[in-house]
Amino acid sequence: MNSSLPSLIVLLPFFGAGVMGFMYLFVPTGRDLRRFYVAVGIGAPLLAALLGLIVVGEMLTLPDSASIASPLYSWIAIGSFEIDVAFVVDQLSAVMLLVVTLIGSLIHIYAVGYMWDDQGFGKFFAYFNFFLGAMLLLILADNPILLFIGWELVGLASYLLIGFYHHDTANITAANKAFLLNRVGDFGFVSGLGLLFVLQNQSGFDFVAIFSGLGGIDATMLSLVGLLLFVGAMGKSAQIPLYVWLPDAMAGPTPVSALIHAATMVTAGVYMVARFSPLYNRIPDVGLFIAGIGAASALLAALFASWQNDIKKILAYSTMSQLGYMFIAVGLGEYSNGIFHLAAHAFFKALLFMGAGAVIIALHHEQDIFKMGGLGSRLPAVRRTMLVATLAITGIPIFAGFFSKDAILAYAFASGHTTIWAVGVVVAFLTAYYMFRLYFVVFVAPSQQSSQSSPLVPLPRSMVWPLFVLAAGSLFLGFWNLPEAYGGGTWFSHELHLADHEAHLRFAEEYVLDGFNVLVALLGIAMAYRKFVRPAHPLNPPVHRLAWQSALANTLYIDTLYDRLIVRPLRGLSDLQDRLIDPKIIDGSLRGLVALYRGVAAQSARLQNGNLRWYALTFLLAVSGISLYLLIAIGGAS
Amino acid sequence: MSVVLTWIVFLPMLFAGVLGLFRVRHTVLRAGAMLSALLVLVLTLLAAMQFDPQAEGMQFVRHLPWIFQYGITYYLGLDALSLVILLVIALLMPLLYLYMWDNSTSGYWYNMLLLQTGVTGAVLALDMVLFYLFYETMLLPIFIMIGRYGHDWNHAHAMKILLFTVLGSMAMLFAILYLGYAHYNFYGNWSFAWHDLAKLPLDPQTATWLAAGFLLAFAIKIPLLGFHTWMASAYASAPTPALVILSAIMAKLGIYGLWRFGYGIFAHILHLYEPILLTLSLVGMLYYAIHAITQNDLRKMFAYSSGSHLSLIALGVVLANLYTWSGSLYLIATHALASAGIFLMIGLIHQRTNTVQIDALGGIASVAPRFTFFFTFFALSIVGVPGTGGFVAELLIIIGAFSIHPWLGVATATTMLAAMLFVFWMLQRTLFGAPAPSVTTFADLSRRETVMLAPLVLLLLITGIAPSLFAPIFTPQIQEMLLQFIHAAGGAS
Amino acid sequence: MTVNPDAYFAVATLLFSLGILGVISRRNLLVIYLSIELMLNAVNLILATFSRLHPDEGGTMIALFMIGVIAAEASLFLAVIVQIYRKKHTLDSDAFTELAQGKKL
Repeated sequence: MNSSLPSLIVLLPFFGAGVMGFMYLFVPTGRDLRRFYVAVGIGAPLLAALLGLIVVGEMLTLPDSASIASPLYSWIAIGSFEIDVAFVVDQLSAVMLLVVTLIGSLIHIYAVGYMWDDQGFGKFFAYFNFFLGAMLLLILADNPILLFIGWELVGLASYLLIGFYHHDTANITAANKAFLLNRVGDFGFVSGLGLLFVLQNQSGFDFVAIFSGLGGIDATMLSLVGLLLFVGAMGKSAQIPLYVWLPDAMAGPTPVSALIHAATMVTAGVYMVARFSPLYNRIPDVGLFIAGIGAASALLAALFASWQNDIKKILAYSTMSQLGYMFIAVGLGEYSNGIFHLAAHAFFKALLFMGAGAVIIALHHEQDIFKMGGLGSRLPAVRRTMLVATLAITGIPIFAGFFSKDAILAYAFASGHTTIWAVGVVVAFLTAYYMFRLYFVVFVAPSQQSSQSSPLVPLPRSMVWPLFVLAAGSLFLGFWNLPEAYGGGTWFSHELHLADHEAHLRFAEEYVLDGFNVLVALLGIAMAYRKFVRPAHPLNPPVHRLAWQSALANTLYIDTLYDRLIVRPLRGLSDLQDRLIDPKIIDGSLRGLVALYRGVAAQSARLQNGNLRWYALTFLLAVSGISLYLLIAIGGAS
Repeated sequence: MSVVLTWIVFLPMLFAGVLGLFRVRHTVLRAGAMLSALLVLVLTLLAAMQFDPQAEGMQFVRHLPWIFQYGITYYLGLDALSLVILLVIALLMPLLYLYMWDNSTSGYWYNMLLLQTGVTGAVLALDMVLFYLFYETMLLPIFIMIGRYGHDWNHAHAMKILLFTVLGSMAMLFAILYLGYAHYNFYGNWSFAWHDLAKLPLDPQTATWLAAGFLLAFAIKIPLLGFHTWMASAYASAPTPALVILSAIMAKLGIYGLWRFGYGIFAHILHLYEPILLTLSLVGMLYYAIHAITQNDLRKMFAYSSGSHLSLIALGVVLANLYTWSGSLYLIATHALASAGIFLMIGLIHQRTNTVQIDALGGIASVAPRFTFFFTFFALSIVGVPGTGGFVAELLIIIGAFSIHPWLGVATATTMLAAMLFVFWMLQRTLFGAPAPSVTTFADLSRRETVMLAPLVLLLLITGIAPSLFAPIFTPQIQEMLLQFIHAAGGAS
Repeated sequence: MTVNPDAYFAVATLLFSLGILGVISRRNLLVIYLSIELMLNAVNLILATFSRLHPDEGGTMIALFMIGVIAAEASLFLAVIVQIYRKKHTLDSDAFTELAQGKKL
């Protein structure tokens, strides 16, 4: 079925971004356009969300696994490289569409309050809408090229928004890092796409055509394609080894962290793998590799998160860790669970970031959790919603995270990948620990001097009520995919129509596994409680005495390592070219030629010594030579 | 209609002659120059509209005897390849005049007028002697502009670019003359028309040497790796309009020459040079990008950036399939637009702060948001962000490379990484951070400057968002050229 | 009287060689001048000889003409030598190297 609505959904935010950007740049400063910006900046995502609901509603009325296509125009057609700008709403993109537009709208509303006093209010919303448009482009694209365009544009929006406070060079460095590492991933991604295009020998490069032609492709090459595409996901979704940009990306305004670096953009990698599920189903080895990377990233990030003091960085590592879960899921072939965890994570992680943002604003831009403390009574609404989100991410029953995460772990166990399962359980323990560490230190533990001394900044209403909506989501979303063991029917997974692998557990096994997970989570909470609520001594920022402690707190010096291994050698090489190769070797060899020419000239100039008799002699010799030659030549002729 | 090309070529020169004859005042001079540029633009657009993409061979051909004793002819013609470059030239000139609007040095204006005739003639000439003539003609105004009106070591740098390029063109001239003579030897009459020379049954060894002459000229002009040491210094010294022409047009003429004459005349032996050209362009692409990282002079940095992109274009030409050739042609146009934009804006920085050294700049974003937007936009176009034309071109070249060999594809895809190595760090130190002392009074873009840059932005966006508007103009003829090339290359081997 | 022309050639060659030797080896400008005259006269002799060998008076004509030219030239040459001597008070030819590469005039 065709409809123009999906196109409209994508174009609306772009249009909003264009209008706001134009106004911001060309309307003389001094006029307060904030109401206009609010109208356009919130209008576009809300309208997109509304249209999204309509489209998804329409789609659900269609017969099974039908999709709504929305061709716009032909982007390019050269040879067999025919790419259309066309959008498609199928079950998978519908989920993403709803998550992105709904949570996006909420965060836009939240950002009105958060950014109200910022000079660049209009610019912020232009960027924000631009991001939303790019993200929707990525999700609704009906071919990988268009997906890649959205993929790159969300990276660009992320760059612009991380560096939003551009007075501070550190923020720009963080933005650069994000873009560069993303581009390294994109290099892999575009290589994968190029290879895939060449391998499939039929016209048409949209997803349907690609997947129908996969059978004729050599498995080794297909694995290479899968790997290269996943390199893109490593960059975008902050997995080992391209993850180092994510914690730094927290330099952006908090709504940015909530929307881009928690709920939507970073999950694009997971979405991509799910989108390419027919391809990845053919190459289970690559899938296992993806799951391995996911597990390793989850563990590493959880370790880092346990040692951070910056509230946003804790959440950033936590995001990376949760993304690791999602990659475990999609890597092992249970795409629906991965997507479900993505959706649930979008709710509770956005909520966590927005709560953290509220705390940060209330405390005059303080981000160190050890300078907070005791905020529970002073910010009750934030505390309550944060608690819901923390319980959700920890995986306490009935909260969304319980169902989504335990489904992943249960499947990993059931399919026999016990190592990955064990890592997942350890991560679950660490998650419970570091999340409650954050919660206890910020809200429960006795307050610190610095947070008490100054009065809190009052929070605008637009920053508070979106928290409750998200909290409701974090609370109830899990029932959408209630497993059969609990009397549900995993409706979500069934609706998604993805090519999941099947692995069944008996209900009893599932109860045991889930109970074990809950136990582990409670253990983590208890440990955090012991350390931070009932400490033996007054709460101080942790001091790292042991080498491994400070190494973890410094995230294992990975940044330094990258700097030494890549950045510095490149600069050194550049310097070498500038100082040695170009001037000395290339120009030098040219100069050698010039010197040779000059030498010959100088030598021959010495013949001209002004001495008459010398001239006469050379003259004589020359004439004699010529005469001799003539004599011999003529003599020879006759 | 066949005289339209003659008008397009010689109108600026005619204006220069008339204006110079009456020694007009600055205000008249600039109005005249602008008028000529706009007239040329209109004529070019007319020609573009009449252009038939489906037709084979040259259109609007003007072929008249000139020095008939030696078969030298006045021979102009237009096909998709030259049309693209012609459009770029015609579009850029009015913008450059807008940039120079308040510059009252009259020599500047006359040189620009002559320069336009030189570059347009070189793109349209199909007689090799005529081509050589224009190819040298365009060098002269550049030499004068760098030497006379340039900055920082301008005399030495003007001399360097002159010596390098003349060395190359001398080799080419020799090859051209030999080809004409060979034509006389084979057929009993002289001819320098390129399609005649393409048909000469040369023995491989001679052809190899002659091709070397051509390739040397174009390798220096592009410049390929190893022939490039004139580039950074000339770019650093050139006044902005000359710089834009250098990067956006003249360098492209090196590619054009390689493409039309290198591949047109020497198709059958070019495979001998293919490994060299491939290596030079592939390595050059990364070499220049890495070289740009530590440059402190914005002009030099983007000189190397230009070099990197030109290497990519050359790579696309060398790989020779439909995707890479389409991509290269597309990149010729879009890189011209983006680099024109960036160099014009560097010129604006120079006007405002009197420096283009990165360490003396910083924090422009705090004082000039419009400037920041445009500058960032052009920088991102150079990186090849989707939505700008450069992305389309790079994608096509990458895909074309993959269809030859996967590893070649991966190597070509590193272009994704090339430009970003230096661009973002440059943006950080130029635009962001706390405002440097030099930019505290930095004025935002004026209306004239906005009008000057807006067409470039719009075109880059349109070429990026809807390449299907442009691709049908050149793909049929690219396909045709490719078939001819493959036929000629296959016929000999 | 018929003399073998080879004798004339031998004498002329001898004279010419003497002249060259003088130009190259002697340093006195006057002696160099004398040597030049010797060479000229050697050529004259050859011209005259050939003129007799082939019945063609053209050679004799040129020889006679040259004697006149040489006389005129001698006066010029001597005048130049006098001028040179006034300048440096020497007639050593090696002292006059102003036209050498790199010397300032």
